[in-house]
Amino acid sequence: MTQAQTTLTVRVPITGVAIIEISGEVTRDSDAALKDAYERVDPHARAIVLSFEDLEYMNSSGIGLLVTLLVRAQRARQRILACGLTEHYREIFELTRLDEVISIHDSEAAALAAAA
Amino acid sequence: MAVTPRASVRRVVWRRSERTVPAPLAAEPQPQELLAGEEPFEIAPNDPLVAYLQAASGAIDLTRLDLDSPALQEMRAAGITLAIPLIANGELVGILNVGPRLSDQDYSADDHRLLEQLAAHAAPAVRVGQLVREQQVEIQARGRMEQELAVARLIQQNFLPKELPDLPGWQLAALYRPARAVGGDFYDVIELPEGRLGLVIGDVTDKGVPAAMVMAATRSVLRASAARLHEPGAVLARVNDSVCPDIPENMFVTCFYAVLDPASGALRYANAGHNVPLLHTPSGPAELRATGMPLGLMPGMSYEEKETVIDAGTTVLLYSDGLVEAHDARREMYGSARTASVLAGAPASSQSVIDELIAGLDRFADPAAEQEDDITLLVLRRRGDGALADFKLQSAPGNEREAMSRVAAAVDGIGLSPERIERLKTATAEATMNAMEHGNRYDPDLYVSIAVRSDGRRVSVSIVDHGGDRDMPMAPVPDIEEKLAGRQSPRGWGLFLIKSMVDAMHQESDGSRHTVVLEMTLEGGSDDADKP
Repeated sequence: MTQAQTTLTVRVPITGVAIIEISGEVTRDSDAALKDAYERVDPHARAIVLSFEDLEYMNSSGIGLLVTLLVRAQRARQRILACGLTEHYREIFELTRLDEVISIHDSEAAALAAAA
Repeated sequence: MAVTPRASVRRVVWRRSERTVPAPLAAEPQPQELLAGEEPFEIAPNDPLVAYLQAASGAIDLTRLDLDSPALQEMRAAGITLAIPLIANGELVGILNVGPRLSDQDYSADDHRLLEQLAAHAAPAVRVGQLVREQQVEIQARGRMEQELAVARLIQQNFLPKELPDLPGWQLAALYRPARAVGGDFYDVIELPEGRLGLVIGDVTDKGVPAAMVMAATRSVLRASAARLHEPGAVLARVNDSVCPDIPENMFVTCFYAVLDPASGALRYANAGHNVPLLHTPSGPAELRATGMPLGLMPGMSYEEKETVIDAGTTVLLYSDGLVEAHDARREMYGSARTASVLAGAPASSQSVIDELIAGLDRFADPAAEQEDDITLLVLRRRGDGALADFKLQSAPGNEREAMSRVAAAVDGIGLSPERIERLKTATAEATMNAMEHGNRYDPDLYVSIAVRSDGRRVSVSIVDHGGDRDMPMAPVPDIEEKLAGRQSPRGWGLFLIKSMVDAMHQESDGSRHTVVLEMTLEGGSDDADKP
């Protein structure tokens, strides 16, 4: 098993909204890293913005992990937003209907404005 | 010109030779060089006085000269009594003419000596002046010629295709390299109804602006005819009838015209006396021969029409005689045999056919000589039996990314849009992951074989693993609501993604191997694969 080439950074730019910056790959090897990042988010945060600005590759296993994250966030009554997706991944979000439960924005600023 | 102050002087325009000094110049000396009220006159090169002066050894008393010469009469009438030839390098370059002495006495022997010395000094200076003048005239003439060449080049550039169409399964490349004295070469690629493609190469005899204009006219007429008529022979006949009335005498146009049906590979062609296009097929060399007279010689000609099928792996070369008739330093021609041998070397692409031909030509041609004629090349290639890539990957997590990048490289430039390449990459990655995980169980000794093929209309990626003896796990069609509600596993997106990304996907098992084939249509590169 190779080590997941994933780096996740958590930021809190405004009270109640966390940003998880996803850099590199989102594959099944990202499981632990994603869980860890979610643990670092304040459980009382209203919204979590997933920034895909530096995403290189996400596959079906990675999408499965996003769904798992989404389930946890919904239980905690947190909204999930996304920004920085390329056209290709935006299309995949639409095909999988993830865009119906994750609101997609062009930029981090737009996502924060929507989350605030 | 030097004169003796006490004598009246008349300048005579002396045409050294018809060849080296153009007559108009000799007849129009700069005004400031003339004494007021003096008009120059000309001496015909064949006037006997010329030969006489050339042979004379000093000053000649015109009053006593007995010669049947119009020039002599004219000089006498102008009041010239003494003529001293100006000889430089043994050549008569001018005449120092003097009228009668103001004292009305004859010129003395001392006067003669003085004038002869003066002439001896003046002659080389006059010759230098003449040479400078000739040089100036030549520079002017060359300037005019350069200007004409620039116009001819401009016409050429404007009438050559700006870009070539992108044809799935085919490669087109072209080169036009003008000689300094631009010729009348041209080529064209015409997009016709029903996806057909017209290919044209031609050469107007003669060079420069007239040839460029005939080229432009021929090309335009051909485009118009090609749009109306299907048969290449009929098109050439129509073009011939159209250009015949207007083409300058002694000018004609050789032209090869073919219509390609990219879907079937059928190529119909006719030839108006142009160099016979060369073919290199997987089974050997061939030619596209069809008979017909060049365009513009006489109206009412008919053109033989032939048809062939361009198979996968075949290269067609249309060229102008600038290629085969280029000479080396020993005046040997490059020839079609050398050209054919480059084709037989099976260069990897249409562009590399051109690169190799030009490199070969530049090695061959006399480096001291400038390019003799325009060189025009148009290369059409049908991609070799569709194989774009074949490779194997070890079954290890993450290796699907290697599959993605190799498939992306293989399909580069075959007519898939960047968006569709991304989709094919994602589908390839998913299918490769399935093959490594479910088919080969990540056994590092088991490989996944991947082959990329194109038949010109469709690209396929087949992914083969060793799990043909068992059924693939079938996940239910993923539903985000079911997953969020916990009624479906969050996973199980792979097959759904594959099917969404490509135009078609099918699988087969033969008991030991399992194969997944992903297909994407090339034609039009349409972006409508959003099938659920």
